[in-house]
Amino acid sequence: MSGQDQNPQKNGSEKTTHFGYKTVEKTDKASMVASVFHSVAQQYDVMNDLMSFGIHRLWKRFTIDASGVRPGNKVLDLAGGTGDLTAKFSKLVGREGKVVLADINSSMLNVGRDKLRDKGLVQNIEYVQANAESLPFEENTFDIVTIAFGLRNVTDKDKALRSIYSVLKPGGRLLVLEFSKPEHEFVNKAYDFYSFNILPKIGQIVAKDGDSYQYLAESIRMHPDQETLKSMMENAGFDQTSYKNLTGGVVALHKGYKF
Amino acid sequence: MHQQALCSALEILINKTLLLNEGGTGDLTRLSQQTLTIILQELGYPISFSVDTSSGNNQILVTTLTQRSDCTIKTSIKTLIQLQKEKKLTELIKQDKLDIDGDIKTAQGFAHLAESIEIDWQSEIAKHIGDVATYKLSKFTDKLRSKLVFAAKQITADSSEWLVHEKRLVVTSSQIKLFSSQVDELSCQASGLEQRIEQLTNLMSDTAQAYTTTNSTTSNTTSTTTSTTTKN
Repeated sequence: MSGQDQNPQKNGSEKTTHFGYKTVEKTDKASMVASVFHSVAQQYDVMNDLMSFGIHRLWKRFTIDASGVRPGNKVLDLAGGTGDLTAKFSKLVGREGKVVLADINSSMLNVGRDKLRDKGLVQNIEYVQANAESLPFEENTFDIVTIAFGLRNVTDKDKALRSIYSVLKPGGRLLVLEFSKPEHEFVNKAYDFYSFNILPKIGQIVAKDGDSYQYLAESIRMHPDQETLKSMMENAGFDQTSYKNLTGGVVALHKGYKF
Repeated sequence: MHQQALCSALEILINKTLLLNEGGTGDLTRLSQQTLTIILQELGYPISFSVDTSSGNNQILVTTLTQRSDCTIKTSIKTLIQLQKEKKLTELIKQDKLDIDGDIKTAQGFAHLAESIEIDWQSEIAKHIGDVATYKLSKFTDKLRSKLVFAAKQITADSSEWLVHEKRLVVTSSQIKLFSSQVDELSCQASGLEQRIEQLTNLMSDTAQAYTTTNSTTSNTTSTTTSTTTKN
């Protein structure tokens, strides 16, 4: 008898994961997340601006400033979606550098590719459809890996962090920009009200898909808080891990190095 | 995050201005891939201006990244204004008001770019409000400008005149001090005099009271004596 059979309860929790507030089979989560992003891809940028009142642009700028990117660097923008970070990195790494925009979702990748090509950004950008849990790159490839608002949608976050660690060069760094836990209770309550009452309605009106934005709000609450994510990064092998709360902890930028 | 907000605003402003420039963004190609970092004392953090010509849309990126800087200038806003007005670069460096680290040609290139920007505002405004309105607006602004210039000149002339003629009459601080001490002295004397007057008033009232009391006693004694004599 295998160990899994001896402990059916543990076996059950290992096979399941969260999809918002729902508990689903791990094997199903990727396709469920994919359907959410297929649905919202075309309206993704508009919704980001509406939902965050444009502040997401400052959060992304903060991430770029914290990355310490130099000309010639190789950057992986994981779960890069519509390519906001890629566009900026592409200009900063110059002709000698390279940026890989990777996303598991083909619709998001297509929207991102079209947007960046329309901006004339073609020289140093590659597009890869990839799962963060098993990245299709050689070890020690990238100077910087960023994952902005993507980690919470990954089924096995620990596996994804280990995979990122392996593709980073020694001295390279990971930056995780993700929704987190607000520092003050008042902000937390206001944020809860906004997320569960207003946000799905905006989603319904603009993207004609309230359910996807309901999932967004739920997935944010189920995502590990600042300290938990920091220890997850340490467990994956990252050194000098730190985080910085932005907008009162609504979003946090985690940073870790591979030495 | 105010740093990012400032960088974002600057980036939009600079690139919009460059788009309106009559010479276009062609001058940027000479500064391609170069970065100028400015650290202002008032802000306390760096602002880097990097020229990006890779995408064909020549533009300037504004970040707080210092890793790719070709030239770093540490100074203050006051010194920058002074530099623009007086052009005393060497003197300001000697006075430690300006610290330049890296290739000064990069800084000069950016300065030249800023100086070479020329915008035909009338054409730009006319695109939005029409030619007639733009003409009237420009006439009005010209008139306003000439009036303001005249007013500024008048104020300067009046103030110089005032300084030449009226300065002699202006009371100096030593004179004010002397006057104040004299007023204090006078005040002391006045209070001394007041005390003395009060003492004299008190003395007079005491004397008057004593006189009244004495008179009343004498009058009583006289009336008693008269009464006794009548009885007898």
